[in-house]
Amino acid sequence: MNKSLVALTALGLFVAAGVGTASAADAGKAPAKKITVFYPGSASMEWVLKGTEHGGARGVKKGDSCISCHVDDRTGMEEAPEFGKKIISGEKSKNTILEPEPIKGKPGSIPVTVQAAYDASNLYLRFSWKHTGFHSGKKMDADNPVKLAFMLEERGKIEYADAGGCWATCHNDVRTMPGVKDTKKTKYAKDGNLGGGKFYDLLQFRSGKGQKPVDGHVADRRVMEGGKALSEARGELKGDTWTVDFTRKLAGGEGDVKLEPGKTYNFGFAVHDDHTDGRFHYVSFGYTLGLGNAKADIHAVKQ
Amino acid sequence: MLNGSRKNWWRALRSPTARYSILTLLVGGFVAGIVFWGGFNTAMEATNKLEFCISCHEMKDTVYQEYKQTIHYANRTGVSAVCSDCHVPKDWTHKLIRKIEASKEVWGKITGTINTPEKFEAKRLELAQREWARMKASDSRECRNCHSFEGMNTDMQKQRARKSHESALEDKQTCIDCHKGIAHQKPKGMPEEDG
Repeated sequence: MNKSLVALTALGLFVAAGVGTASAADAGKAPAKKITVFYPGSASMEWVLKGTEHGGARGVKKGDSCISCHVDDRTGMEEAPEFGKKIISGEKSKNTILEPEPIKGKPGSIPVTVQAAYDASNLYLRFSWKHTGFHSGKKMDADNPVKLAFMLEERGKIEYADAGGCWATCHNDVRTMPGVKDTKKTKYAKDGNLGGGKFYDLLQFRSGKGQKPVDGHVADRRVMEGGKALSEARGELKGDTWTVDFTRKLAGGEGDVKLEPGKTYNFGFAVHDDHTDGRFHYVSFGYTLGLGNAKADIHAVKQ
Repeated sequence: MLNGSRKNWWRALRSPTARYSILTLLVGGFVAGIVFWGGFNTAMEATNKLEFCISCHEMKDTVYQEYKQTIHYANRTGVSAVCSDCHVPKDWTHKLIRKIEASKEVWGKITGTINTPEKFEAKRLELAQREWARMKASDSRECRNCHSFEGMNTDMQKQRARKSHESALEDKQTCIDCHKGIAHQKPKGMPEEDG
């Protein structure tokens, strides 16, 4: 082996090591935030805004966010577990039963750990939670036992998105809602307009074998393709714990929210278990996600 | 003739008595006043008791059963509010006015306006709206016999309650603006402006 070959090998190793240190940030090393997702039944945005059913409607109309009432800012205590338990059991909320077909034995909520990090090119998100292990025997989505989706929105664009996160896309007239016969109508944002920047960015991990992740958006309708920002969505069930990792480019194309360090974005996510579909999911309240912004509910740290 | 008899009565009433001393008249009047006044108030207070309210099946089978499921009936400390605590003013003047108004309910009882569960449900919204309007007009006076913003330690409240009370203070709202249906079911078909 001559000297030049040794030098070249050494240079190669050096470059490889350099690339190694500059490569992917690790969301697993970011601070963990516990967010409980809960079973919402048929509680649509219309329900949220109906004062005779939801005592907080007045606050939401004034611009208060869901978590400003339902998560204690002194203790961090969440009301989501209580809500989920009541709704899934078919208990009345005022005069309305939010789940007309109560599901016996299914947990009302799931605590999820969310971690977020970013680097010069990407946002990295990790979601982990204990598998519910619930089997109803029905398979609404035969291909996917579990799905995890999250949505991002540039604050202030869509009415009630700042207050309710994804809730602003959930309406009484969409498929699987009680009494709705239309099986095609999916979630939408009021006055949603992709070209005008009024949309939610939608990303979804699907656990089914060979199932590709979704990079779409929700504007005047839901579109499950076309996004350019999602690089990877990977998940695994290890023991009794699901861990799902997303790698998403900070910038993308049409239907992708451009993420900039220092700014905050509306953020919400949902878990479908037991092959469920449509509204039969667990959802989070609306939160904010900030890149390098400690004021956000979920602080993506720079790595 | 009739006119003459009325004049005689009037004259008799105005003439000083020759039979009773002033002291007898004073003591007699005083005792009679106590008996009358005491009797009147006792009777009025009797109609303030929970047992009186639920002596009619119209109340016992409906709103009373709902109230029994609420914190105003049973709670950790054992301090409960009965029907009249919320629905009848405490001070005498307002109480008397309310009682006179409530005498219409006797007519309702006689004519059977809510004597079946179906009739009660059909009238629930109207009855509730009348009571909400009364409470709103008095700035929730009966609620405030026990509750006050000043006495509230919002630090000890759930986040939702704390935020709502702080917001209500800012917006100069009154208890009944938000606490409709706190002791009874909310009526079906309630208009959004009542929410």
